[in-house]
Amino acid sequence: SQPLSGRQAAELQSKVVPSKQILHSDNMEMEPETMETKSVTDYFSKLHMGSLVYSCTSKRKNK
Amino acid sequence: RMEASCLELALEGERLCKAGDCRAGVSFFEAAVQVGTEDLKTLSAIYSQLGNAYFYLHEYAKALEYHHHDLTLARTIGDLLGEAKASGNLGNTLKVLGNFEEAIVCCQRHLDISRELNDKVGEARALYNLGNVYHSKGKNVASAGTHDPGELPDDVKNALQKAANYYEENLTIVTKLGDRAAQGRAFGNLGNTHYLLGNFRSAVLAHEQRLLIAKEFGDRSAERRAYSNLGNAYIFLGEFETASEYYKRTLQLARQLKDRAVEAQACYSLGNTYTLLQDYEKAIDYHLKHLMIAQELNDKIGEGRACWSLGNAYTALGNHDQAMHFAERHLEISREVGDRSGELTARLNLSDLQMVLGLSYSTNNSMMSESQVVDNSLNGTRPRVGRRHSMENMELMKLTPEKVQNWN
Repeated sequence: SQPLSGRQAAELQSKVVPSKQILHSDNMEMEPETMETKSVTDYFSKLHMGSLVYSCTSKRKNK
Repeated sequence: RMEASCLELALEGERLCKAGDCRAGVSFFEAAVQVGTEDLKTLSAIYSQLGNAYFYLHEYAKALEYHHHDLTLARTIGDLLGEAKASGNLGNTLKVLGNFEEAIVCCQRHLDISRELNDKVGEARALYNLGNVYHSKGKNVASAGTHDPGELPDDVKNALQKAANYYEENLTIVTKLGDRAAQGRAFGNLGNTHYLLGNFRSAVLAHEQRLLIAKEFGDRSAERRAYSNLGNAYIFLGEFETASEYYKRTLQLARQLKDRAVEAQACYSLGNTYTLLQDYEKAIDYHLKHLMIAQELNDKIGEGRACWSLGNAYTALGNHDQAMHFAERHLEISREVGDRSGELTARLNLSDLQMVLGLSYSTNNSMMSESQVVDNSLNGTRPRVGRRHSMENMELMKLTPEKVQNWN
């Protein structure tokens, strides 16, 4: 029903994407970053709790 | 009394961050900083964790600020290990902010100190970070132009080659240490670096290793990433059937993981792959699925891309009415999001289609202008542009070796 000239249709057909170009989305999937971690508890146990932890464990050992 | 309360607040911050609630964790850490402490190592740990929390919250300016405080403090108290860690974190943050040169200096410092302390774990981590910075640097420069993977200017190639070397060095150490998780990460990013360098066979080998390790750990997100990256590499090897199989596995996992954005991406990749296989019915099927999710997520850019792809697929099938419909929708969306090149492409597509259909109406009179008026009057404001990170960096690419003229 459409006034479609065969030549024009063929032209359009030939312009269609296949294997010539494609809308490419750069969806490369990267691995996560690794951040270095510090913890208050590390320092806390070393600096403040050291003697306390020691006394607790020695008490437990003594039992 | 003040000492104890700073510590208590910081401990609660740590607990919250570990439980995955960084936002609440940040409040407690900031309260701890407000209260203050004379113990500089404790303060350093608080700054470091605040920096990391802001990093995970994607507030990189804040992350930068706190990692910088941490670095200054670590240097002041002569804590070399603390300085190495702060430098590494600062490097990662600078990388995300696109300041690659400073990021390299910081990551190199992390590496140097780790070697000085004979800290193999730290050394490996610094090498991985350096690889990431060079990878980002290369990708960043590359995306400024329009290059296929493998067709790169020298500075891009140099940066990517350096990234590959750092990942290889990292792999040597973490393999010796028997750290499989770290090997998995390095293989994944090494694979992506080879992909950008155009070494698609090497990319496949690396991603296959990544896949193996992901399965070992039952890490389904990493498994999904590997499938997707394998699909991408097989596209450029011209093995579209294989690519479609990997993309289907990506889709399957995306659905299991209930990640709609990733599901949409997988549908889009499958649509493109079936276009390359010249199976336009299947291509349309997947592009329609992609379109539905893009609309659901209010991702205008994705929606525009879906319309462009659907227009092409329908044109290939000779269904010019549908092609016209999607070309008009593409034009409408390109205008909405201010995508000038998309707008131009859409106009050219429309004029081609109009010629074929023997229509002579000008775009001014067409229905899309009307529908835009209706949309705007309904809305009052411009619709918010939804962006999915994975789909932001779209570009037109030529896939076959022979250089064919662009039709946009």
